[in-house]
Amino acid sequence: MSLGNSYIIALKALRRNKMQTALTMLGMTIGVATVLTMIALGSGAQKAIQDQVKAAGMNMLVVTAGNYQAQREKPPDDAIEMGAVRNPEVNGHPHLQLALFHPEDDPFAIHDHPTARQRLGDSEAGLGAAATLTIEDANAIRKINGVQYACEGIHENVHVADGDTRWFTRVHGDDSSLPNIRRAWSFVHGDFFSARQQRKNEQVVVLGNIVAAKLFGDVNPVGKTVTLWKQPFKIVGVVTSSSWMVTPESGDDQFDAVYIPVTTMQKLLNLSKLNDITVTTSSTGDVTRVSKTIVTLLRSRHKIGGNTPDDFTVASQASKALTKGGLRPDVASAVTGNAAGLEKVTLDQLGKTLDKSSKTMTALLASIATVSLIVGGIGIMNIMLLSVTERTREIGIRRAVGARATDVLLQFILESVTLSVVGGLLGILIGVVAAIAISHAVQWSTSISPLAVALSFGISAAVGIFFGYYPAREASRVAPLTSLRFE
Amino acid sequence: MNPVISVRNLTKTYHVGEHQVNALRSISLDVQAGEFVSVIGPSGSGKSTLMHILGCLDQPTSGQYFLDGRDVSHLSDDEISLVRNKQIGFVFQGFNLLTRTSALENVELPLLYGTGNITAAERRKRAMAALASVGLESRYDHHTNQLSGGQQQRVAIARALLNNPSILLADEPTGNLDSKTSIEVMEIFQSLQKERGITIVLITHEMDVAEYGSRIISFKDGNIISDVTNESRRHAKGELDVLPSVAEGVA
Ligand SMILES: Nc1ncnc2c1ncn2[C@@H]1O[C@H](COP(=O)(O)OP(=O)(O)OP(=O)(O)O)[C@@H](O)[C@H]1O
Ligand SMILES: [Mg+2]
Repeated sequence: MSLGNSYIIALKALRRNKMQTALTMLGMTIGVATVLTMIALGSGAQKAIQDQVKAAGMNMLVVTAGNYQAQREKPPDDAIEMGAVRNPEVNGHPHLQLALFHPEDDPFAIHDHPTARQRLGDSEAGLGAAATLTIEDANAIRKINGVQYACEGIHENVHVADGDTRWFTRVHGDDSSLPNIRRAWSFVHGDFFSARQQRKNEQVVVLGNIVAAKLFGDVNPVGKTVTLWKQPFKIVGVVTSSSWMVTPESGDDQFDAVYIPVTTMQKLLNLSKLNDITVTTSSTGDVTRVSKTIVTLLRSRHKIGGNTPDDFTVASQASKALTKGGLRPDVASAVTGNAAGLEKVTLDQLGKTLDKSSKTMTALLASIATVSLIVGGIGIMNIMLLSVTERTREIGIRRAVGARATDVLLQFILESVTLSVVGGLLGILIGVVAAIAISHAVQWSTSISPLAVALSFGISAAVGIFFGYYPAREASRVAPLTSLRFE
Repeated sequence: MNPVISVRNLTKTYHVGEHQVNALRSISLDVQAGEFVSVIGPSGSGKSTLMHILGCLDQPTSGQYFLDGRDVSHLSDDEISLVRNKQIGFVFQGFNLLTRTSALENVELPLLYGTGNITAAERRKRAMAALASVGLESRYDHHTNQLSGGQQQRVAIARALLNNPSILLADEPTGNLDSKTSIEVMEIFQSLQKERGITIVLITHEMDVAEYGSRIISFKDGNIISDVTNESRRHAKGELDVLPSVAEGVA
């Protein structure tokens, strides 16, 4: 007898008991819907934390050219300590101290291009701060295991002009991967320049939305041309912040700025070096290892031996991010409030802790869901067992007209698998709807992966087979005769 | 010609607690193709036990059973199932139809089992033909609870005939029916025998029902006490012709 026939038989048998069929399916539907919703909530929360952590730049490192400078006056109050992972004392150079830098300070620019301060005569030559980072260095960093993106950076001030309208702003020469690093970016118009445009040193520019507003108002400027250094640049995109915490204002380093390919910038300004290289790691927990690898790599590339200090600085962005926002306030306060001695905790420990706690949550939700699945499965088993006693007569009739024991076995298994799979599919549907509804209602982000859907489907089929097998075997063992006598 | 059914020294013994019940004590019997055999006997004499063994629903304690010349007393469960599917048709006192299922689907049932791939259309065609042969084609979509007892029994007969079995076994098929309906069922049996040459074994404990058969075997305490050709055979067709309007009124 064919499987097709068994299936026809099973479906007909289920149709004979519509109410029972519907109720049994309902148990399964609820089970699967719960599983899916729970997984969606759990992994949604996990993803939200990951995203926040990444958005906050906890997986970000910045390699800056230059390292130390002669000890001068007290650093400004808003200075940021660099090189958190480096020994604060510069070996063998007691008169040197770790560089503290103001965001406007630019060790590189000191040499190649005058910064605002230098132009004002506030010169501060750094020792051993010869700008040394190159695109080749960035390429070497890209090859390090665990590095997600590396982006070259050259930063300058510039006049951007559209005919007579001019705006003084920042220009960043960057790699085309920058939008992947800047997570809270969204493009109002167009897109970032492409890797191809970068390779060909094309004169293309992406405007921050502040610049776009100053020059073009509400008009979509993509396709128009602006001039930088009296050179025409074609506008390919306008970028703004997608973060609901930060509304870009003028003076903003990211959105009151324009972006051009680093290669174009080097060519036009006749530069060969970089200010910095921004690196992200694939995993938040990997920042320390990667930063050590970068130090070793660059020292060897720059042929720095023995006690000579580095000619670059590797700094992670996390401390800045945690203390200066970027993290959702509730997450940040949860982190700072719950982690005692936060300052002492290394960043990758923190990242790992966050990962772990969200995984624990997912596991917890998943186990609740599993229980409800098992309940659904037992419901099926219960009904099927009841069926076997209720339906002995039916089984006997089937055996009398020539059903083999295996035909009966197959029929009952197919019945329970149909119950669980159809119930499961409905459950997937309801689960998806519920997850979406919950994320709308309480703003808890959910994420339903195809894997979770496939898993729920697989589990419901498995439940059907597992919980259906025993009753089916009982059914197949009913002797033809006893069941016919049963009247 | 070889007999369709050939039984040699068949015994069936049940053990109930410490008791031993000899339901059949060394039965030997031949039934030729096309015979209509009535088996009669008091309650508990072993008629049903014999039918279950002849129908391969049960196995004898000892002895041999040849169906169409093949020894079927020691086949595997799967082989026996196939024999039931292809060579045997059953009609029971309690009809044994699937509830909440249409007449057509009940009749189709044997075609869902057994070997061979039959399309749904073919299944339907054959089931409709079988229903037509018992005069129920117009009721094909009625569920069993929407049919009278006689109609249900006719559906059961249609189902039993679907695979053109070698033998049709009927255990008290008229037990739950009134006399007119009983005659109608007997009319179907007799015409099946006459027109299609089907071999029938009919079990009953009423002599007037047994008299529709061409041969009457009497049972007592698990033994055959007589086995005779029926000289005074009743003919259901003729009885129905004289009876109808009266019976209609009575019923
Ligand atoms: N499964 C069983 N277990 C024990 N004893 C049984 C079983 N089946 C039948 N018997 C016994 O075997 C004997 C024959 O029973 P059987 O059903 O063949 O009688 P029968 O002639 O069909 O009677 P009736 O006319 O009442 O149907 C009876 O004494 C019965 O009690
Ligand atoms: Mg009986």
